[in-house]
Amino acid sequence: MTRLEADLRAFAAAALKELRITRRYPAMYLGMIFWPVLLPAVWVLMAQAYSGGNDARAIAAFAARAGTSEIAGFVFVGFAMYMWLSTILWGPGTALRRDQMQGSLEATFLTPASRLVPLFAPPMAALPNILLTFGVMGIALWLLFGVVPAPDAAIRAGVITLLGLPAMYAIGTLFAAGVLRYGEIGPVVQIVRGTFVLACGITFPVAMLPAWAQFGAALLPPTYIVADIRAVLLRGFGLADVVGDVLITLGLTVVIAFLAVFLFRALETSARRTGMLSRF
Amino acid sequence: MTAPAVETKDLVKVFERGRRTIWQRLRREPDRRERFSAVDGIDLRVESGEIFGLLGPNGAGKTTTMKMLATLLIPTSGTIRVLGIDPLERPREVRARLGAMLSGERSLYWKLTGRENLEYFAALYHVPPKETNPRIAASLAAVKLSDRADDYVERYSTGMRQRLALARALLPDPQLVILDEPTVGLDPQASRDLRDRVRELRSQGRTVLLTTHYMEEADQLCDRVAIIDHGRIVALDTPAALKRTIRAEEIVRLDIGVAADGGRQVLERLSRVGTVARHERTNGTLAVTVHCASARDLVPAAFDAARAEGATVQHVEVVPVTLEDVFISLTGRQLRE
Repeated sequence: MTRLEADLRAFAAAALKELRITRRYPAMYLGMIFWPVLLPAVWVLMAQAYSGGNDARAIAAFAARAGTSEIAGFVFVGFAMYMWLSTILWGPGTALRRDQMQGSLEATFLTPASRLVPLFAPPMAALPNILLTFGVMGIALWLLFGVVPAPDAAIRAGVITLLGLPAMYAIGTLFAAGVLRYGEIGPVVQIVRGTFVLACGITFPVAMLPAWAQFGAALLPPTYIVADIRAVLLRGFGLADVVGDVLITLGLTVVIAFLAVFLFRALETSARRTGMLSRF
Repeated sequence: MTAPAVETKDLVKVFERGRRTIWQRLRREPDRRERFSAVDGIDLRVESGEIFGLLGPNGAGKTTTMKMLATLLIPTSGTIRVLGIDPLERPREVRARLGAMLSGERSLYWKLTGRENLEYFAALYHVPPKETNPRIAASLAAVKLSDRADDYVERYSTGMRQRLALARALLPDPQLVILDEPTVGLDPQASRDLRDRVRELRSQGRTVLLTTHYMEEADQLCDRVAIIDHGRIVALDTPAALKRTIRAEEIVRLDIGVAADGGRQVLERLSRVGTVARHERTNGTLAVTVHCASARDLVPAAFDAARAEGATVQHVEVVPVTLEDVFISLTGRQLRE
């Protein structure tokens, strides 16, 4: 067995371990059904109220900025992305932090497995839950607001989601590195998550931001991922129409990934110097 | 002559106390953090196939030493060889060959069964798929947990969790097993049980390096013991040889009721018939430990000395020499202090 094969097997075992633990807290699945419907529905109702009950001029003004007149679809896609971002961005850090607090991080770091295993396998195990959330949101969108994306559009959205995964994991690794050195970094993550919600067009069009903020948004991969998923789901765009954005996302991914690997290694070494692996 | 399982030379680990804020760093203020040596120049040579114990009080530097051997901590200076490999240069190779139980029961996943825990860690230890199930079965059998393998760990007793952590350490089929305070928090029966498991490891030809602050454990279990205090090894030998360094056949422990500042004469007279290794005054009681050739001679002398000063002997205990006495004679303190 090569080292790569052994690490892939360790990766699968770590993901299975997470799934087993999650399965033993079945009440968590209630949250996966409740919040993905309630939160975006509230925003859609607010938007409808602000637009004077879907006044034609208000809808046109919205479409001019958002590229679509489908308010419910716009908000639900944004929230789906928000939940996905939250899981992936904070997933690696959460996994390390939880292991650090319960005392299993050292046991994991005592093994010859790659550090990528404890870092990325647990959030990967969250993917089925995210897919469940997407499904629930899709059904809610259909039942509550009558919006049904075309199946081929959903497949294109899935492709963009997959292409965006490395970027999200790379950003997540940046935070995970912070856990190794500083322990609790939850407040920092909240700030960054809030910034992403504000800057990346999660609940409103990026066009609403001032010019300098739009420049900042253009440096963040989620901006492109959210915009492209909306484009293929709500505006009928093909993958060829968003290839430029995808390339920019992949380019940003390379830069962030290099930064993340460098920072993770540096902070892991620092943690091994200071003994932070076992402290919390 | 076979290579040692563990060899360290002048091993030092310095930690900093306190924090240096980002603001202080940005302003390039001098670093005023206090530095202390958790490990202060340890030379160690653990031979293959032996049970070697690091005995010392809490905070002596035992765990820090273990963590450096296990690649979890980077030494400040000095060299380490684990199974002939430098853990700083080739940490993954060391981890693949080393079985370690460092943080005991907390390091397990309580919402998984014992078997599921071992399945997960077997994959992390890169145990080949075909060998995984036999290796898990052997590890569980070695710690006598086969019949509870499919119970959640949260339903285990503390002793069972410790044994499961030991089973995990055996998954890589290691030549060297390091155990940090393996019996801490266990009841006497569970401690005996775990010690039996450790002896079996030696009979299988493995090397065991363990830390403990229980003198009986070091005495009963270890082929050789290094007594460690304030990050330094103060004595290293077999338990029997260490005990022979106490020039006494017996140890007499006395509790003597004395006046507020009394007892000086008692101590002076006791030192004529033995060696006063330790004395401590608490609430009008003078606790004295005396090393002597014969308790038959010392005990009457102690009563005479007490009577002469108007004091009362409240308690007399005659015990054989233990590693605790060795520690007291070397450091002037008890292990539990």
